[in-house]
Amino acid sequence: MNRTSRPNYNAFLKKIMAENNHTESLNHASELTSTSDYISHHLTNLTYGWCEKSQSWGFANHQQSLFEETPCKVSEMGFWTLHVDTIIMSSLLGTIFFGFFGLVLMGAKKGVPGKVQNFAEFVFEFISNAVKTNFHGTSKILGPLAFTSCVWILSWNLMDLLPVELTNFVGNAGVGVDYFKLLPTADVNGPLALALVVMFFVTYYTIATHGIGGFLKEFINPIELVGYFSKHIALALRLYGNLFAGEMIFILIGIMFGQFFMSFGQTLWFIPGLMMNLVWALFHILIIALQAYIFMMLTIAYINLACAKH
Amino acid sequence: MNVNATFFAELIAFCIFIFITYRYLWPNFSSILDARRDEIAEGLEAASQSQRKLEDANEESRKLVEDAKSEASNLINLAGNRGDQIVDEAKNQAVEEQKKIKASAEADIEQNITKAKEGLKQEVAALVISGAEKILNKEVDEKSNKDIVDALIKEL
Repeated sequence: MNRTSRPNYNAFLKKIMAENNHTESLNHASELTSTSDYISHHLTNLTYGWCEKSQSWGFANHQQSLFEETPCKVSEMGFWTLHVDTIIMSSLLGTIFFGFFGLVLMGAKKGVPGKVQNFAEFVFEFISNAVKTNFHGTSKILGPLAFTSCVWILSWNLMDLLPVELTNFVGNAGVGVDYFKLLPTADVNGPLALALVVMFFVTYYTIATHGIGGFLKEFINPIELVGYFSKHIALALRLYGNLFAGEMIFILIGIMFGQFFMSFGQTLWFIPGLMMNLVWALFHILIIALQAYIFMMLTIAYINLACAKH
Repeated sequence: MNVNATFFAELIAFCIFIFITYRYLWPNFSSILDARRDEIAEGLEAASQSQRKLEDANEESRKLVEDAKSEASNLINLAGNRGDQIVDEAKNQAVEEQKKIKASAEADIEQNITKAKEGLKQEVAALVISGAEKILNKEVDEKSNKDIVDALIKEL
């Protein structure tokens, strides 16, 4: 987890600027421009979409794309674009984590479980107990929903512990991918999709319990209508914001010690940088697990409220 | 923070994972854990049952031992009583026998005494007669003096 050993920081920045046609600005570049470029580079997803300029499909900001002369900006691509890194990482992580549980089930024994099976059963039982103690209705889907959201979000969040520079190193090493965000939670689309599914089930259970009339009657007070949407959006943004901020702090730590390195030219700056990253990573482990847990508990609580008879 | 079509991709992926969990992971984990819970419950039940059985058996054996003890003491008492009874009976019998023997002996003795008395009487009578003959030196007519002699004998 060596986030800060970044000997080619300067060369790396030049490369970004060259890609973004900022070569002139680099000549009289202030520290601020390079820093903001660095941050914005880290916050840019690997985006695939329709480019109006070159009238073709392709990756944004990419030298390797079809529109080599004038790379499309992400902002120019509109709504119908895909964050390829988010999709790849989230599906991959989901496949790995749910595959793990599936494999455990395939080799599961009815008798005394092994260590791996014990762990999987612990996770299952933890979530199952959370559902049982906090949800007082009957629902077949809530258990799987809570399980899926908790495990999937946790698997996403764990990517925050990988070095922020990892993909850039790999990209620089000639893979040809210059933008790749490892953390799907720091892309708002993922949490929003989860929250929409939760909203769907909340609506479904409200209508199932109180009927359509009862569901609509809740919105006599327009504040309720606002609350109905905002609580689900808040559910997504809480998760997104926490992980985004955590990622941001890793980036800022990287910048700070990168700046020290450039100003004073001492390779030893990598040691305090490593220490600070380590401290923040240790603290961040808490947030990673907590946010997954909070999302799951709020899902259970919202659906419990939807099922509650007044 | 740009919302775009990735949202739909994530939505589809989430639905797929929920479906997988709903159809495969959740019921299988539930059934495994339920089966284990049942098994543990059964094991505990069996353990408590055998514990109860053991207690019952202990109780029963203690009762048996107690019964046996009381029966033994009963038997001992009975035997003692019977012994006493037998001894009493024997004593009684012996006493009766003794009485009988004593009575017959006494009767014998009585008989002998009477016989001896009779004999003695006869002898005394004879002696008296012979004495009297000697004294009187004459024949005493036994027949004529019979009354006197008998009276004498009676006086003896």
